[in-house]
Formats: sequence, structure tokens, C-alpha cells
Amino acid sequence: MSKQTVISARHLKKAFGKGENVQVIYADLNIDIYKGDFTVIMGSSGAGKSTLMYSLSGMDKPDGGEINFDGTYITKLNNDKLAVFRRKECGFVFQQIYLIDKMNLMDNVITAGVLTSKDREDIKNRAKELFSLVNIPEKTWRKTSSQISGGEAQRAGIVRAVINSPNVLFADEPTGALNSANSGAVLDVFTSLHQKGQSIVMVTHDKKSALRGNRIIYIKDGKIYGECDLGKFEQDDTERTEKLDRFIKEMGW
Amino acid sequence: MMKKISTLTLHNLNKAKGQYLSFGVFICLTAFIINIALVLAFQTFHAYDSLFDQLNTADINFIIPQIQDSNDLLTEVEEIDGVSVVEKHGGVFMPVTVREFAGSDFDMNTVFYNLDEERTLNLLTVTEPSGKSEASVSIPMYMKELGGFAEDGSITYSIDGKEHTYNIGGIVLEMQYGNYGTGMIGGYFPEAVYEDFAEEYSDHVIAEYSIKTARTVDLNEMKNAISEMLREKGSALLNINDRDTAKQTRTMVCTLLIVIFLALAAIILVVSIFLSNFRIRSAIEGELAQMGVLKAVGYTSNLIIASTIMPYMLVGVVSTITGIALSYAVLPAVAGILAIQSGFSYTPAFDIMAMLIVILTLSCAILLFSYLSAGRIHRLEPINAIRGITGDESAGQNILLFIVSFGIMVLLSFAGTLLYNVNVKPDNFMNTLSEELPSVIFTTEDEKMTELKALLANDSCVKLVLEYASVPVSYEDGSLTAFVCEDFTKTTNDICYEGKSPAKENEIAVGNAISDGYPIGSEIELTVGDQSADYMVTGYIQSVNNAGAVCQLTSEGYEKIGDAANSVNVYLYDKNADVFIKEYEENHDAIIKSSVNFEQMSENGRIMYTGIVSVIVMILFVISVLMVLLVLYVIINSMISRRRQEFGIYKAIGYTNRQLTVKTALAFIPVVAMASIISVIAGLWYLPVMNNIIFSLIGAVKNHFEVAVWILIIFAMMLTAVAFVISVLLSAPIKKITAYSLLNV
Repeated sequence: MSKQTVISARHLKKAFGKGENVQVIYADLNIDIYKGDFTVIMGSSGAGKSTLMYSLSGMDKPDGGEINFDGTYITKLNNDKLAVFRRKECGFVFQQIYLIDKMNLMDNVITAGVLTSKDREDIKNRAKELFSLVNIPEKTWRKTSSQISGGEAQRAGIVRAVINSPNVLFADEPTGALNSANSGAVLDVFTSLHQKGQSIVMVTHDKKSALRGNRIIYIKDGKIYGECDLGKFEQDDTERTEKLDRFIKEMGW
Repeated sequence: MMKKISTLTLHNLNKAKGQYLSFGVFICLTAFIINIALVLAFQTFHAYDSLFDQLNTADINFIIPQIQDSNDLLTEVEEIDGVSVVEKHGGVFMPVTVREFAGSDFDMNTVFYNLDEERTLNLLTVTEPSGKSEASVSIPMYMKELGGFAEDGSITYSIDGKEHTYNIGGIVLEMQYGNYGTGMIGGYFPEAVYEDFAEEYSDHVIAEYSIKTARTVDLNEMKNAISEMLREKGSALLNINDRDTAKQTRTMVCTLLIVIFLALAAIILVVSIFLSNFRIRSAIEGELAQMGVLKAVGYTSNLIIASTIMPYMLVGVVSTITGIALSYAVLPAVAGILAIQSGFSYTPAFDIMAMLIVILTLSCAILLFSYLSAGRIHRLEPINAIRGITGDESAGQNILLFIVSFGIMVLLSFAGTLLYNVNVKPDNFMNTLSEELPSVIFTTEDEKMTELKALLANDSCVKLVLEYASVPVSYEDGSLTAFVCEDFTKTTNDICYEGKSPAKENEIAVGNAISDGYPIGSEIELTVGDQSADYMVTGYIQSVNNAGAVCQLTSEGYEKIGDAANSVNVYLYDKNADVFIKEYEENHDAIIKSSVNFEQMSENGRIMYTGIVSVIVMILFVISVLMVLLVLYVIINSMISRRRQEFGIYKAIGYTNRQLTVKTALAFIPVVAMASIISVIAGLWYLPVMNNIIFSLIGAVKNHFEVAVWILIIFAMMLTAVAFVISVLLSAPIKKITAYSLLNV
């Protein structure tokens, strides 16, 4: 059965700087993201992984080309229409987490939830379910980000990202600022969400994180340099690990 | 929309309570001052008119010697076109010296009335009876408020060297004289006391005609008609006053106060707008990543802007209402201060119109300017915001501090200049409000004028003798008070603000009230009785007391239409005017018909204004210090939180708390000092402009204020020193920052 495309980007162009200082990130990039996939974008530093992900999610505008996000050409939307589009279609998890400081976890989640639902109780109930899913106990819901661990904060960040049941969950180095134990817990949440059918696009340069995905895309010199189908994630699956190792070695990692 | 931003709005409010509090204090102060100004503007003049109507006060009163009065005159006055009611009363009119008036003797033209006489016009209300009816006199409120006479005390009048001491029978509320700006004041005896007094001073008994007119009547024209009628009958017009000039002189300080309050409120509003602008821009800088995240999760720019503006709106509205409420706590006291000059009091009531104007004005200003400040959120790309790239310049803390220091210095410079010109150089203030300020005015018979002038000219105490008189004249649209002088180049107060005073017999300078209709070079026809003459306008003059309905004529010019003036202004070197008058009245009784101690009158006026100006200046000082405190609080507070990490680094490498506190405080001083000095330099230009604008509103187109640079420099140094001390105190929280902070950001 062929996969359903959720994002289709064609002839993307993106550059930073001007004149002699111009740095071309990608000049003619084409990519498709499929529904239900856990797509991992890898590449060396400065390859444009995050830039590509933010372009695909409508957070950043490419200089050229077009992006069809589940039937909507987001490259044609203005900033406010993009914001409205994102609140329904996208969820974001950031490396630095970026919970709103001095606001407790529940309110952080509600702040995103009220954008798509008028029923505050409904949002709260859904938030409680998600907090349980990511193993954040009730006593922590009323704490602020400075009163909890990085892992808890990132899991709360994931709850905020999925509170509106986004079409695609985008994650930019979600374990980059976490220790090993917290990273594992956060990645388990991603896996759990993926297993429930959530489409995920994750940028990472961490092999352990990449292993959670089923499709690995490697970016190099502004192009999709290679692609690898890892298949379904299983804990301690040495075959998948070796396959990823071989792939990234081929890519020149 | 409200549901979407309510959580964020509450979060924003909660997060920066101190910042919103300081913003709230500013808005509260602005609302407080604007509401005071508006309530005074809406109610003082209305209260004046209400009391005027309530006491059925006459529109015109004139006084003639009783021996020249006749029943025919009453009939003739009643027949003047526009006269509705005429009432005649007796009285005793004479110049008296009031002992211990505000601590000194005060010569006042006083009319003593029979308090028990029945009246339908100029009703008298004894508001504070003392219960002492025997040998008592009731006095106007002005005598109590400014003169310091209490209802349980006594008052001494010195008349022709004889002292008359009376118990004060009560305080009279009346609208005929009110204050001494009209040049007359009343005294009210019980019938028995009045009868004895009138018998003792029978030469001074007068007939007073009080006239109620139709509202449409031109009072100047009617005054002119009365003057003309009396002249034809050979009756001496001892005094004539009218509703409009009395009102203007009595509400002058109120008008000034309203203008000053509004100017002050405007400055505070501008400062608070700059502050909120700075605060919003700082918040955007400090919360860039969070704003990026909000955009990422789907908040539109308008939603983020709304959640940023909403706390300011909420704090603004609550503070405005608080400021309005607080203003009602001090309004009775402000009205009390005004009563010192106006001679009537009222209790300010809640004014819904003033409240709505204040709330609407401030809300719109806060909404507009906070929206403009937050507008850059529109330009914020979410991904750039998360990465900390604003694409804009920084919040401009020094620019804000410069603008605020400059604004506060404008306020202090205005206050200092006012203080200097009322307290140190009072002549400047009095010359702005008055015409000539001689030491003494002598009146003589026409034929003795030359003899009197020669006598005075040979007196070594006399600096200058000048023929000078104020006389009524008519022109096409009404009547004017003409200042007639033998030589305007010798006058000590140049009231000509454009062109020049007349030098030839066919020249005239006209007042600001009619200047629009008579360009310089045009002609105006003046009439006195049946004599008319044309004069060429050479310049424009001002007169606060006569509402600008004045003109200047040379003595020769006036003699073309009227009799020669018979009064002289005497300017003394150092001699006490009172002693001088006594000597002349004793030694030259045959020449001197009457005399006025103008020096004492000016001094009393100055005392009154000094009191009021001191209160205004005090308010301006307190507000300035408060503004410095709040502005620095906002700046230092946001700076400390922004540079927390930097302070941690300084501490890690060995800086002490004291060094960091002083270093921080000193960082503001160059900006404050530079703004203050530039404001002082600019003040040499803007202060005269500012004073001109404010005083022109009460008719003083040209003001004589001097800008004392040394006072401004002292104020600039004081502002800088106060800013430093406040900065040191406000930088105290730096002590709480630990070196560990740099790891914890």
C-alpha cells in the first residue's frame, strides 16, 4: 500500500546573508513527508536540517519553491494565516524547551489549547490524559519550569505540542539539552505517540534519537543526500542499529 | 479572543507586578492632575455664576456722593436701554488702612454698608456668624482667607489717623467685590453701628446704584452710558464695576492653575507613555524566545500584541479611576486655596463629564501608544525570535532616560522660573499682571497739577513723577479704559507687546481684546461725551485686569476729547510710601485731593500670589522627584533582570556589591546631567515661549519673566544628584545576585 503524503515540498530555495556573504542552505530541494511516519532529518552541523524542518512547518518562509501541507500551499500564506494554520496542523518541540517561565505546566498547555477549543474543561481533561501519557504526576502540573527537571520540562513541552492533536509533530533536537536518563524518557514519549499514529518529523544529530524513527533522511550540500528505511522501532534491535550505522557512514558522518 | 489571551494576560500581569505598579502610579498621577484641572474648569466658573445668580448680584454697580444724588437719577438709570432692575443703597465710602491684614497694614478703598438694610440685589449671606452683634463688622471671605481675620477675632480700620476696632460679626458671602482685584472691598455693620459710623463720616456717605441688566447687554456700553449721564449731570462717579471684569479678576488664578495642571499632566502622560514604550520593548527583547514559541504554537501577532497591551489597559483603567477618586480627596483643599484669591468658596462635586474625559483620554493614549510600541511583534519571525534575532535596535534605555530627564527639567525650570519671578523678582510677576506700579498715586484739582508736579519733582525721595490716569472712553463697539500718560517712554512697565506706545496726540495703542479689528496703521474713533477724535493705531498693549479692553493715549491726545487728567503716579527711591503719603497729606493738604498707597496694594497682591505659587511649585517639585524615582525604578529594574548574568560574572571576578551598585548608578548620571544641561540651554528659548503661552491665556500676551540661568543650573545639579542617590538605592537588588547566577540563566 502506498504511503499518503502529508507534506510535499518542491524546488525549495533558502539562503542567508547578502552579497558576498550569502550562504546558500539549499538551492533546489524536493522532499515528501508521509503520514504516520517518524521521519528523522540528519546531517552535519550547518547542513540546514532545522531550516528545512521550520520551512516545512511554516515557521520560516523559504526564498523560493512551494510547500503543499496536506492540501494547503503554505508558501502562499501570510504570517497570521500561517499562525492559524500551525495551531491546527503542527506541534513543536524545541531543544531549549521554551516553556513560558513563571507559568505552571498546566497553564503552559492550556495557553496552546485555548487556540483551538473554547471548552477549557475539555482542554484540561485532555492535558491530564497527556500528562499521564508522558508520566508527569499531578503534583507537578502546578509547578513552573524552573521547579522541575529538564526531562519533565521537555515532556511537558511535548504535551503542549500535541494538545491540539496536530497533523505533524515537529521536534528540533528534543534531547539536545537533556542527560541520558531524561533523553530516554523523552524519546519513549515520541515512540509512544508514533505508535498511536502521530506523524513526526525530528531533526537530530544523535544516533539514539534517530533510531526511534522509521525513515532517515540525510541532508548534505543543500540536497537530500541519502535516505534509509529503518522499519518499525523495537528496543535493543541490533539489526536496525547496524543499518543506521552503515547508512550514516555511507553519508560521510 | 478574550478567552484565548486571558491566561497570557494574567501571566504577563503577574510576571512584572512591580513594572505595572510603577506604570499605574504614573497614570494615577496623570488622572489625578487632569481630573483636578477639569473639575476646576467645569465647576469653578459654573459655581461662580451660580452664586452670582443665587445672591442676585447686580451686573453693574456705581457709586456717587450722596449729596449729588437725586430721585431723577434713579428714574433716568431705570430708563437706560437694557436695564431690568435698579436698586439704591446707602453706604460710606473711603480709603481706609486695615491693620494687620496678612501681617501688615493694607490700604483699601472700602464701602461700609448697613447689613440690616433690605436688599433684593447684591444679597449678603453671613455664612459664619460669630454671635457678636455689638460693635461688630462682618467682613468678606477674602479678608478672612487672605487677610487672616477669624470670625472670633477683631479688626482695626485706621481712618484719617483714627483707629476703629470692631469685633468680627461674621464672614459675608457676597459677589459684588469678592477680592481686591476690583479695587474695592466691602464692610458690613449692624444697623446701629452703621448709623453711628455714617454720622461720624457724613462727608463720605455715598449712594450706590445696583443694576440688573438683560443678559444680552454690552456691559461696557452701559457703563459708558452711565459715565456719560453722570458727567452731564455734574455728578462725580466714584466707582463703577461690572460682572465680567469682577469675574475675570476673581478667577484669574484658577485659570492659571488649570493651565499649569493640564501642562503638568501632559508632561507626566508623555513620560508614562515613554515608560510603557520602554517597558514593552524591553519585554519583547527579554521574552523574544517565548514570543517565538507563542507564534509557533499558533498565536497570531494580534493575539500576542493584545495579551501584551491588555495588562497596560487594565492597569491604566484601574489607575485612572483610582487617580480620579484620589483627586476628590484634595479638590476641596485646592478649591480652598483658590478661595484665597477668588474670595468665594465652593465644594467641588463629583463630575461625571470630567471622569469620562479623563478615562477616555488616558485609555485611548495608552491603547494607541502601547499598540505602536508592541507593533514590532508583527515583524517578529517566529524562528528568528526563538533564535534571539529581533532585526531591530535595542530598547534605547539612554534615549528614554534622556527624554524623561529633559521633560522633568522642563517642569523644574518652569517651577523655578515661576518661583524666581514671584519671590525674588516680584516686580516681573506684578508687571505681567498689572499696568503701572507706582509707589503712590496722588489726585489733585486740575488747576493744581503743575504745582503738585513741581513739588514732587523737587523732593529728593521721588525718583519719578508722571501724569497718569485711567479714564473711560467709547469706541464703535463699546467702551475702553484709556491709560492717559504725559510720556509713555517714562513708564516703568512696558505693556506694549507689539508696535509702540503713542508718542503724538493722534496716536493710540489698543488692547489685545480689540487688536484683531484694528491693525497697526489703521484708525479708531474715540468718544467722550460729545467729543470725538480719530487716532492712528501704533501698537498693541495688554491688561489682565481689564480683560484687554484698554488703550493708551498721550495726555494731549486725550485732551482732544476729554478734560485733562488730574492724577499723578509717584515713584519713590526707598522711602516708605505710607510715611510719604502722611507727610504730604499733613503738609500739602490744600493740593492733595486723595492718595493711594499703591506700594502696599502691590505688596498685598504679591503676598497673595506668593502663597499660591509656592503651593504650585511645591506640587511640581514633589511630582518631579516622584517621576525621577519611578522612571529610574523601571529602567534599573529591567536592566538588573536583563544583565543578571553579567553582574554574576563581575562578582565571580571579584567586584564587590558596593562597586557594582555605584558603577550602575553612575552609568545613568552622564545621561541625566547632559539632558538637564541641554534642557537648561534650551530653556533660554522655550521658557519664555512657555510662559508667553500660559500667561497669554489670561490676557498677558507679553510677560516680564526673567529666566535666571543660575537657578536652572542649581535645579539641574539637584536633579542629577537626586537621580544618583535614587539610582544607588534602587540598585540595591544587585546585592542579591550571586556569582552562580551566570550558570543559572
